Amino acid sequence: MIICQGLGKDFKHYQKTAGFVGSLKSFFHRSYERRAAVHNFDLEIQHGEMVGLLGPNGAGKTTLMKMFSGIIVPSHGKLQVLGHVPFEREHAFRKKIALVMGQKSQLWWDIPAMDSFLLLQKYYEIDNRDFKKRLGELSALLGVERQLQVHVRKLSLGERMKMELMACLLHRPDILFLDEPTIGLDVVAQRNIRDFIAQYQAQYKTTVILTSHYMADVEALCQRIVLVLGGTKRFDGPIREFSNILGREKFVSVTFSESITDPTSFWATFDPQWNESRTRVDLRVPEAELRSSAVAILQRFPVAEFTMEKLPIERVMNALLANPQLLKGAE
Amino acid sequence: MASAQLAKWWATIRISWNKQLSYKLNFLLLVIGPSVVFFFVKYSLWTAIFRLEGIDKIQGYDLSNMLRYQIWSLIVALVAQGYNSMNLAEDIRMGRISAYLVYPFDFWSFQTAGFISFQGLQLVTASVTLLFMFGLGFLQHLHVPDLISGLAFSLVVSFFWYQVSYLIGLAAFWLEETWVLRVMFITISQFFSGAILPLEAYPKYLLNMLAWTPFPYLTYTPVKIFMGEYTGSLSQAWLTLLAWMVVVGLLNRLVWQRGLRLYTAAGM
Amino acid sequence: MLREIRHYAGVYLRFMSTCFAAASTYRLHFVLLIIMDQLFYLSMLGSVDFLYNNVPKIGDWGRDQFMFFVAFSLAIDHLHMSFISESFWEFSYDIRTGKLDFILLRPLNTLFSVFARQIRPATLVNFVTPWGVLIYFGLRLGLDGWAWVAVFPLVILGLLLLTSIEILLSMLMFWTVESMGINFLRIQLQTISRWPDFIYQGFAKRFFTLVMPVLLIGSAPVYFLLDHSRWAGLFAMGGALLMSWLLIAFFWRLGLKAYESASS
Repeated sequence: MIICQGLGKDFKHYQKTAGFVGSLKSFFHRSYERRAAVHNFDLEIQHGEMVGLLGPNGAGKTTLMKMFSGIIVPSHGKLQVLGHVPFEREHAFRKKIALVMGQKSQLWWDIPAMDSFLLLQKYYEIDNRDFKKRLGELSALLGVERQLQVHVRKLSLGERMKMELMACLLHRPDILFLDEPTIGLDVVAQRNIRDFIAQYQAQYKTTVILTSHYMADVEALCQRIVLVLGGTKRFDGPIREFSNILGREKFVSVTFSESITDPTSFWATFDPQWNESRTRVDLRVPEAELRSSAVAILQRFPVAEFTMEKLPIERVMNALLANPQLLKGAE
Repeated sequence: MASAQLAKWWATIRISWNKQLSYKLNFLLLVIGPSVVFFFVKYSLWTAIFRLEGIDKIQGYDLSNMLRYQIWSLIVALVAQGYNSMNLAEDIRMGRISAYLVYPFDFWSFQTAGFISFQGLQLVTASVTLLFMFGLGFLQHLHVPDLISGLAFSLVVSFFWYQVSYLIGLAAFWLEETWVLRVMFITISQFFSGAILPLEAYPKYLLNMLAWTPFPYLTYTPVKIFMGEYTGSLSQAWLTLLAWMVVVGLLNRLVWQRGLRLYTAAGM
Repeated sequence: MLREIRHYAGVYLRFMSTCFAAASTYRLHFVLLIIMDQLFYLSMLGSVDFLYNNVPKIGDWGRDQFMFFVAFSLAIDHLHMSFISESFWEFSYDIRTGKLDFILLRPLNTLFSVFARQIRPATLVNFVTPWGVLIYFGLRLGLDGWAWVAVFPLVILGLLLLTSIEILLSMLMFWTVESMGINFLRIQLQTISRWPDFIYQGFAKRFFTLVMPVLLIGSAPVYFLLDHSRWAGLFAMGGALLMSWLLIAFFWRLGLKAYESASS
C-alpha cells in the first residue's frame, strides 16, 4: 500500500533578528537555512492496517502525510502509495485517497455542508444512488442528519469535524489519512469520532494512517505505532511492544494519607512524579521488582490507595521525549 | 504617566513598522508600482493627446504643466491616500478586538499607531519618488514654502483618509467584507478629487457641488499648492477639510460604540 | 473525452450553484458589490467623456471610437470580474493558509479547480452598463453585420488572453507566498490594457505588445471591429495565448515542486 525508502524533505527558511534594524537588514539581505523536516525515512504499510504516527510537534508527521498524499514533493528518496507515485498526482490516485486535517477545513464556510458534499459528488464522479446511500449511512452513523443543511460556520467544532470526515469518506477511499482529527474537541466528541473511525474501518477495511496528540486516540484505534522524532523513524512496531522500550515495567500510583517528605533515595529509581502536596506519586516499576517494592512501600509509608496497571502510552511518550537516548537499540 | 503612554505608542509603531517591512516584494511593488504606472499610462496618454493633436493648451495646461500635475497627484496619493483598513477589519472579524478591550492600550490608539508607522514608510516612498522625478527633470523649480504648505495640507488629508478608512473598517461589525466599501470610496474619491483629470476639465455645475464635499481637497488642492498655483481661498480649503474631519471623527465614535455593543452583546 | 467534458461541466455547474448559495447569505454585500462595479464603470466612462469635452480627438479617434473602446474593455472586465477575478484572491489565500492541500487532492485538473472555482453572481447583473454603452456607440459608429457577430467572441478572446497572462503571473505566488504585490501588479496591468495601444510609444509599447502582451487585449479586437483589414492583431493574440499556456504549464509544475504547504 505504502512503501517508502530513504524518504526526505528539506524546507528553506530565513532568520531575522528582532527589532527595527533587524527588519531593515533582513529586507536587503537574507540568510537562508535548510532544515530537514523528514530524513531518511523507511516505511511499509499493508492493506487494511491502522497505523498511528506519533511524535511531538514539528517532528515531521504532517510532512510525511503530505508527501504520502502528493501535496508536497519529497526532496529525496522513493515513495509509492497504492502503486502510484503520489506527487505525480494522477487522477486515479487522487480518487483512492482522502485526507482530514483537524486544523484545516475543506468545507465551504459560507454554505451548508450538503452543498459541499454535492460538489464533492461531482468531483469524484460518484453516481447518485451510491451518493445517497453513503450519505445516509454516514450521517446516520455520525448522528448529523439534521445538521446537513446548516451553514458550516454555525456548526460546533465537533459537528464540523464529523462533516469533514463525511466529506472525505463519500468517495470511499482506499487510504484515509487522518491528521489530528480530534484536536480541540471535548472528551465526549473525541470518543464519538474515535468510535466512528473504528466502526467504519472494521466495516470497510480501509487503510488508516493517523496522527494525534491524544494518546487515547492512538491506543483505541491503532495496532501499530510509528514513532517520529526529529524527522526520523525511531520506533515501528505493535503497540503492545511500544511500552517495552522502557523495559518491562508497570505503572504504579500511590496515594498517601499525609505528605511524604522522605529524604531517602528510595523513590529515585522509579522515575517518581509527585503532586504538589507530595501526597501522591506515580512510579514506573520494573516487573521483576514489583512484588518487593510494593511490599516495601506498603510497609514504610502511610498508604491510602495503591493502584497498578500497564504503562500508559502517554507516560512512555513523556519518558522517551525526556530521555531520547532510551530509544537506542529499541529497533 | 504621559511618558508611559508615549512608550506604548512608540513600541506599537515599531512593531508595525517591522511588520510592513517584512513583506519585501510587496513593499517594492508598492513603491515602484505607482511610478511605473505613471510612466506607462499617464505620461503616454498625455503626450499622445498633446502631440498627435497639435493642441498646445487644455484648460490652461500645456504638456509639461499637465505632467507636473500628474506627478504631484502621484506624490499626494503616496503621502495621503495609501492607508487601508484591512487589518482593522480583520481584527474585528476574527474577534481579536477582545484583546484590546482588556489591554491598557485601546483599539483606536493601536490602529492609529499602525497608521503613523505606515505613514512614515509612505513619506520615505514619496520622497524617493519626488527626488526621482526631480532628477528626471519633470519638476524644474521646487519652491520650499510651497513644499511645506503642500506637505502640511497633505498630512492633514492623510489623517482624514485614515479616519474614513477607520470608519470603513468598523463596518466589519456588520459586514462580512469591507473591501467593497473601500474600493467604492477610492473610486469615487479618485474621480471627484481630480486624481484622473485636473478639475478644470470638469463641468462647472459639478465643481460648485463638489466644493462642499471633501473630495476636491483630497488631490486637486494639495497638488495645486505644491505647484504653487492654488488660486482658491486656502483658508476655505482648510476649514472645509477640518469640518469634514470633525464629522467623520464623530461618526467613528458613534459607530464604534454601536459596534462594540453588538460585539459584546452577541459575542458576534 | 465526452465523459471528461461532462465531468468538468458537472463540477462547474456545482461551482456556480455553491457560489450562488454563498452569495445569497450576504445580501448587503451582494448589493454593495453591484454598486461598486457600477461606480467603477461610470468613473471610467465619465473620465473619457470629460476628456473629450476638452479635446476633439485623441490620436485618430473621436469620442465615439474611444468610448466604444472603453466599453469593449469594460465588457471584458465585466466577465473577468464575474468569473475569474475572485479566484486570484482566493488562490493566494489558499497558498498562504495551506488550503490548497485539499484542492490538490481532488481528482480533477487543479488549475481548473483553482481558477474556475469562484464566481461572483452579483457582478453578472452588471452586464447592462458595459454592453449598453458598447451597443450604443457601436450603432453610432455604424458597425456592419460581421462586426456585430464578431463582437462577443472577441470579448471572450480578450478575456482569455487577459486571464492567461494573469494566471501566468500568479504562478509567482508559489515563491512569494505573500500575494498583495502580485495582485497589485495584476491590477496595474489591467489598467494599462484599458487604454488603446496608440497612446503608448517606444519601449512601453513594444514591451506590452511583445513581452507582456496586455495591449493586444482590447486594441487588437477593436481595431478589427472598426476596420476589418486590420486582422493581424488577432493572430498575434492567438500566438500570445498559446505561448502563455505553454509557460503556465511549465511554471505550474515548477511551482508545485516548490509548494511547501503551510503547516497546520
